Amino acid sequence: MKASAFQYVRPENLTEAIELLSGDPDGGAMAISGGQSLLVLMGLRFAMANTLVDISRLPELHRVSESADRVFLGAATTHAMIEDRKVPDPSSGLMPRVASKIAYRSVRNLGTIGGSMALADSAADWPACLIALDADIVIMGAHGERREKAEDFVRGPYETALLPAELVVGIDIPHRRTARWGTNKVARKSGAFADSLAVFVDSSNDGPARLALTGTASHARLLPRTSTYAHENRILDNADLRATILADLEDVDPLADAYRQRCHVATAMRAIAEARL
Amino acid sequence: MTSTSFCLNGREIAQEIDSRQSLADYVRETLNLTGTHLGCEHGACGACTVEVDGTPVRSCLVLAVMCDGKNVETIEGTRTDEAMNIIRRNFREKHALQCGFCTPGMLLTARDIIRRHRAPNDAEIRAELSGQICRCTGYMGIVAAIKSAAVEING
Amino acid sequence: MSISPETETWIGKSLLRKEDIRHLAGAGMFVADIRMPNMQDVAFVRSPIAHGHLLGIEKPAGREASVFTLVDLGAVRCIDAGPELASFRTTPYPPLAGDRVRFVGQTVAACIAPTRAEAEDIAEQVIVNTDDLPTVVDAVAALQPGTATLYDGWSNNAFIHATIAEGDIASVANAPVQMHRTLKMNRQATVALEARGVLAYWDHRLDELVVYTSTQGPHVMRLGIAQSLGLPEHKLRVIAPDVGGGFGGKNRLMPEEIAIAALALKLGHPVRWIEDRREHLIASVHAREHHYDLTLFAETDGRVLGIKGALHVDAGAYALWPSGPFMESSMAARNLPGPYRIKHLHIDTHTVATNKAPLGPYRGVARPGACFAIERAMDELAHELGMDPSELRRINLVSAADMPYRTAGGLLLDTGDYPTALEAAVEMIDLPAIRERQKTPEPDGRKIGVGFAVYTEQSGHGTVEWTKRKSRVVPGYESATVRMLPDGTVHLMVGILNHGQGLETSLAQIAASELGMHPDNISVRHGDTGSTPYGFGTFASRSIVFSGGAVAKACRQLAIKICRIGAHLMQTDTAETALRDNAVHGPSGSVSLAEIARAANTRPELLPQGTEPGLEVTATYEPPDSGGVFSYGVHAALVAADPKTGIVEILKYAVAEDCGTMINPLIVDGQIIGGVAQGIGTALYEELPYDEAGQPLATTFGDYMMPCATEIPHFEIRHFVTPARNTEYGVKGMGEGGAIAPPATIANALTDAFRDIGAKFLETPMTPRRVSEAVARAHGENG
Ligand SMILES: Cc1cc2nc3c(=O)[nH]c(=O)nc-3n(C[C@H](O)[C@H](O)[C@H](O)COP(=O)(O)OP(=O)(O)OC[C@H]3O[C@@H](n4cnc5c(N)ncnc54)[C@H](O)[C@@H]3O)c2cc1C
Ligand code: FES
Ligand code: FES
Repeated sequence: MKASAFQYVRPENLTEAIELLSGDPDGGAMAISGGQSLLVLMGLRFAMANTLVDISRLPELHRVSESADRVFLGAATTHAMIEDRKVPDPSSGLMPRVASKIAYRSVRNLGTIGGSMALADSAADWPACLIALDADIVIMGAHGERREKAEDFVRGPYETALLPAELVVGIDIPHRRTARWGTNKVARKSGAFADSLAVFVDSSNDGPARLALTGTASHARLLPRTSTYAHENRILDNADLRATILADLEDVDPLADAYRQRCHVATAMRAIAEARL
Repeated sequence: MTSTSFCLNGREIAQEIDSRQSLADYVRETLNLTGTHLGCEHGACGACTVEVDGTPVRSCLVLAVMCDGKNVETIEGTRTDEAMNIIRRNFREKHALQCGFCTPGMLLTARDIIRRHRAPNDAEIRAELSGQICRCTGYMGIVAAIKSAAVEING
Repeated sequence: MSISPETETWIGKSLLRKEDIRHLAGAGMFVADIRMPNMQDVAFVRSPIAHGHLLGIEKPAGREASVFTLVDLGAVRCIDAGPELASFRTTPYPPLAGDRVRFVGQTVAACIAPTRAEAEDIAEQVIVNTDDLPTVVDAVAALQPGTATLYDGWSNNAFIHATIAEGDIASVANAPVQMHRTLKMNRQATVALEARGVLAYWDHRLDELVVYTSTQGPHVMRLGIAQSLGLPEHKLRVIAPDVGGGFGGKNRLMPEEIAIAALALKLGHPVRWIEDRREHLIASVHAREHHYDLTLFAETDGRVLGIKGALHVDAGAYALWPSGPFMESSMAARNLPGPYRIKHLHIDTHTVATNKAPLGPYRGVARPGACFAIERAMDELAHELGMDPSELRRINLVSAADMPYRTAGGLLLDTGDYPTALEAAVEMIDLPAIRERQKTPEPDGRKIGVGFAVYTEQSGHGTVEWTKRKSRVVPGYESATVRMLPDGTVHLMVGILNHGQGLETSLAQIAASELGMHPDNISVRHGDTGSTPYGFGTFASRSIVFSGGAVAKACRQLAIKICRIGAHLMQTDTAETALRDNAVHGPSGSVSLAEIARAANTRPELLPQGTEPGLEVTATYEPPDSGGVFSYGVHAALVAADPKTGIVEILKYAVAEDCGTMINPLIVDGQIIGGVAQGIGTALYEELPYDEAGQPLATTFGDYMMPCATEIPHFEIRHFVTPARNTEYGVKGMGEGGAIAPPATIANALTDAFRDIGAKFLETPMTPRRVSEAVARAHGENG
């Protein structure tokens, strides 16, 4: 289980990194951030690269800032920094909680939020969380900076809106200081990738209710009907809620078998219940 | 090959390193520091845990060349560490090891848990140990050892 | 002479382990830690398909000299494996595939390079040309007429069919209660945290091939490797250095071991192969995979009269040397009646070849499956009869007064009080409190349930038992050499292996007790055929009985000589001496072991007339009755299960057990806890599924769930001590017992949790998906 050979380069800044990634038109150059997914895939020889461009020290990806209504977390922010609240938290505790359930501590010490979004594993935790928080993904490429809504950024299993030689520079998240939230994960054991993970951010004076789900056959998705239903109804009828979730599932995870569906319904209902406790 | 220099167990290393070599393979195969064990090579067992800049990481999922300029500590570097020796004694007294293969990674993880939690309870210790596989002990001795060592170290 | 037990015995002391020191320092020495000049690494090319003709292997251009196929290895013999029974179809298992591949992961070629990464680069370029054959992945369906066979010339896919019968099952055909169930324990891996590894080289000075291998039994492996390579045994030394767990998975001769040894012979420089986790999961020893189809015959009062049925063991593609997969089915069948007064047994067993990795032993061998089947069936029966399962057990359990008791499986339970252990487990888990708690729903919506399971663990079985099993190698004894050095310290050389069991400590405790010395002054050496007396290694919970016995016997013989010399030095009679506190004591005064050892080793003129110099004894030992002794116990678990997601949490787990005399209770507890944790893995997490094409679906720990501290609960243990009659100190083996009962215990607890809806838990592991599906099915919903 050893990676095939590659060149290693560590650019000084973002521009240089993008140049290096653009320099290899066949896609043989790849960025490495925390390496906590990429090096697994390379060891198994499921992934290969001619050149690994080490972006883990780029100052631009370490930038963290907070304004009155938003928090920006550089792509290189690790799961552990979020868990330990070493960076500002726009989510009144939701992000630290989600971070603490990703993999294992020593993986969280290196794994990054940017890497997680860029990889877009269909069972990863951050995509659902950031969709629920209505975050923007800030992207930089040779032609400058652009943004995508988290829900538009992830597009399929290991598929994102990133174009070749583009990098995630950071995540821009609106403050939800007063919102209550809930989250629920089903996995075969602790730290394993989710069979189902629901993240719910309830409506508050700083934003609407949003429920996102991961663990689908494809990628993390917003459950629009359920979000609206929760937004419009303070008192929830369990049967209605269930039916609404099931209606959403027909769109977001049409291939789910009966077990997956049960899990999705359970995590979604529990995430909402936790917020409304 | 990439020219790399870092501090390993207090010693400066400067070498041309094969870019694809993991930190685990580098310390084991090149430096002969074989206390770092490989139980899975895909980040799931924790046997290869070492510290980089004071935080535990899985050395199978770190490229040696990425450690350039950093401070790396393997189990061999902890032999005179006072806290670690208290943890070691507690591991022995609580029968926290059998075959010993998971032990170096467990010890480094234990020290980190004790540093961050000061006086962790059973549930906290178990949650923190998630992802550290021990096939032999059933974890009870490990949990007990960390708990008692934490009391000794942090009072 | 006498050894005074009050002051001197180390038996029963929770001595801290000697072996801990090196491991805590990170200074253990495992195969992968050994460095040799000019060593080259091997990566194997493995079969990508489950079944096919191997048409050809294309070596990458320019790298031909680094790639070895079967013909390149030279003369290697495929030695016969499996029981010595005419009815067993033995199968040649070549170190590298010849003209056929029979499972995904089978070794096809070996690629060699200075580093493993480079060897993998070469392996990646090797092209394996195959012609697919139909795959066989289901052991029951594999016996259907018309199914393709793995071996040409076989009439069906069975390695062997055998019937285990006792009593007269026809006589209970009209029993008022008859209950039929099918149960399955799925396939899993053994997962020592240190995977396997082999390093071999020719030692020119000693003119021998040295093979370092992570094995549980180096002497037996030497036999197998020597036969495979056609080497005389004096030219082959097998060394097991530190071994990072075995659990049965390192107790079979594997193709990689032969291939690496053959390559070292051929190439003249050190060659090594370190198994990676993916190789381990797809191609190391696999375990379990039993299908049971059982009918229980009973009276309406709950007395069980007989068991009838069939057992299919999915043995994979080849028989592993030495004993193959046969023991799995016969042991399982013979353990089905458990410790119950069941008189009639009739089980048709089928050990079936499939296109999967070969099956081998894993902690508990056969019995976790048998225990799951019978203990689950007992609970099902209790439910059918409207009885509490613990009550049904009480009615059927063998009592202390019945001992020794021969079960319908032909096992002679020697000593013990099984009903008392059951009462203890009921009390420890607090059954009445649980029944009370169950009256109100849990606030979190989960369901709670309690389950029990009884198990027995045969150990210390020797010549009689292994001959009965037609074993190719009969591990009927162990040997030990005790050697006192001139300063009075001791080397103890043994033929077993210590890979986590604490034997470097517990055997030292035994020797220390017999020699009146401190265990610190005794070093235990093991694992090297070049320096230890013959032995069979550590498996089948045999080491404390056999090796402990051999150590005691050798030390006692040495003690006689020590006392004789001591008496002479003190000018007294041997009968007047006592050996304790590092000295031989006489009526007036004493002489230290160091003085005696000095005389014996370096000052022969001080010895009594006619006494040979030196202080060394080698003894072999087998318990006087080699049918085995039985540890036993009862496990109890309280679980909470989420009816929707199927996630199971173990809230409480209790073990009441009896393994006879404990040499070191700390180590005994460690073995129990570690075993139960592995049993929980079998019960809830670990599984190696295959798809219909024979592709393994769990190839990393991303798919193969290993329980961690978050999955394993705290355990409560209560010991009962009924010494064995037939062993030294009354010890019984106990290394495996912990792993036997958890699947049954937890399945029974889940059944109890969902008793109101009648959800069925008849298959391991009880993953969230399976639990959720069982509940949905019981509700009449879509699984
Ligand atoms: C044992 C184990 C268990 C895990 N369990 C979970 C889990 O339960 N949930 C979960 O969500 N994750 C889990 N992970 C994955 C972990 O969270 C990773 O850290 C994360 O998915 C990737 O982050 P990284 O920084 O390590 O990225 P890397 O591994 O460095 O990169 C991953 C991919 O993203 C690309 N990339 C990285 N950064 C950028 C960027 N800024 N811009 C563009 N592309 C980029 C890389 O080129 C690569 O293709 C687990 C990992 C392990 C080893
Ligand atoms: S070897 Fe690195 S986590 Fe298992
Ligand atoms: S002691 Fe063997 S793996 Fe932990």
